[in-house]
Amino acid sequence: MTTDNVLISVKDLKKKFDGMENHALNGVSIDIHHGEVVFVVGPSGSGKSTFLRCLNLLEEPTGGTILFEGVDITDPKTDINIHRRKMGMVFQQFNLFPHMNIMKNLTIAPMKLLGKSKDEAEKTAMELLERVGLANRADAYPNQLSGGQKQRIAIVRALCMKPDVMLFDEPTSALDPEMVGEVLNVMRELAEENMTMVVVTHEMAFAKEVASRVIFMDNGSIVEENSPEEFFSNPKSERLKSFLSKVI
Amino acid sequence: MTEWFSEFADRFYRNFIKEDRWQYITDGLLVTIQITVFAVILGVVIGFLVAIIRSTHDKTGKLKIANVICRLYLTVIRGTPVVVQLLIIYYGIFASVTIDKMIVAVIAFGINSGAYVAEIVRSGIMSIDKGQFEAGRSLGFNYAQTMIYIIIPQAFKNVLPALGNELIVLLKETSVSGYIAMEDLTKGGDIIRSRTYDAMMPLLAVAAIYLTVVIILEFLVGKLERRLRNSDH
Ligand SMILES: Nc1ncnc2c1ncn2[C@@H]1O[C@H](COP(=O)(O)OP(=O)(O)OP(=O)(O)O)[C@@H](O)[C@H]1O
Ligand SMILES: [Mg+2]
Repeated sequence: MTTDNVLISVKDLKKKFDGMENHALNGVSIDIHHGEVVFVVGPSGSGKSTFLRCLNLLEEPTGGTILFEGVDITDPKTDINIHRRKMGMVFQQFNLFPHMNIMKNLTIAPMKLLGKSKDEAEKTAMELLERVGLANRADAYPNQLSGGQKQRIAIVRALCMKPDVMLFDEPTSALDPEMVGEVLNVMRELAEENMTMVVVTHEMAFAKEVASRVIFMDNGSIVEENSPEEFFSNPKSERLKSFLSKVI
Repeated sequence: MTEWFSEFADRFYRNFIKEDRWQYITDGLLVTIQITVFAVILGVVIGFLVAIIRSTHDKTGKLKIANVICRLYLTVIRGTPVVVQLLIIYYGIFASVTIDKMIVAVIAFGINSGAYVAEIVRSGIMSIDKGQFEAGRSLGFNYAQTMIYIIIPQAFKNVLPALGNELIVLLKETSVSGYIAMEDLTKGGDIIRSRTYDAMMPLLAVAAIYLTVVIILEFLVGKLERRLRNSDH
């Protein structure tokens, strides 16, 4: 891959939380290319969420730089709100807006931030809802939906902004097992359409199947990265070997 | 029995019917309601402003000076009796200007109520899951937009019953308006007493009217609470 294909370029990213002794991120560097599906795995507390949340500055890095589409978003002069529109994020706990129905959840950001008309925004939302099989729930409120439905709506909410990258933080961890599949299916389709994705997950089989690259994090650093085939069948570091032996 | 009844009827006549004295009560009730309604509106406006400043400070560390002013306001208002505040505003601040006493009362009770509303609303804002905030920011909403579209509407719904209770408290607190010679409900009863030298009957009537209004308001607040609890959204 050529460098001009790079969508996000992270250099020596560091994060230390107030009152914590150790860095949650210890100098992470990685280039994420257009269309790449990067999976991030690692033990609990290794800094996966912190890394992901730094990418759209939900967590403010304490060191290093992040170039997104060539712009240094860690520069205080950069208006991060503009760039966040291009970075969809999906949370473990869905975080749908409970006081709005589904259609409103999906259209409020495109209307208020992108200046879309109501008709335009609803048309886009409806098309995406149809794709995830939830067009009939447009008038429902979030607490009338199952976990799997909520998460599919949360993905659609992010997609309605037409983002250039989607960030997922353990999107299936809060779901009952029988609902995991429906969410993974939506993510798989996105990957097949060449959406750039960064996915933190414990679903190793899914990572193996969908990832273009898998990253192993431990103690705030990237310890190993590889293609999914190599990553799972031929781990190099002892730490990854012992991690894989525990989770698979 | 008939003797008791005829005495009661006589007292009733003197206190309420003679010289249309019942009008002190009805006019007073109107004044009380006016003060309460306008003061609660002012209180909600002040309260939301203060709550937003305070929670913005808590969340982001910004607005340091405004936050200090707000905290000073909360401490002073909640640490002193409302009647003292009323007198200070009337005889102190507005002493040299001619101003409608109704406006003075609304300002005084509004400022007072705002302090209590502020803490109610702040707790409502702080009780919203931080994931809501993050979801808003991650879509590209700035801080203010996230507050306006996502946080405040949810917080407002959560604190509506508490705001209803604040309205009830305020209604009763306005009974000290007589201190600045406002003829509110309490003062109305007092005027009748000074005419008829009968303390019990007019004051009992006043108490019964407060109680009735409070019971009605409590009923409405309870209904609202149930509706909010049962509603899906
Ligand atoms: N808001 C915070 N304040 C203080 N410390 C934090 C905060 N968030 C995370 N940490 C710490 O930073 C480190 C990395 O946490 P992080 O949530 O990124 O791990 P993770 O890899 O996502 O773990 P998990 O698999 O459990 O989600 C941990 O030691 C954690 O305790
Ligand atoms: Mg995590």
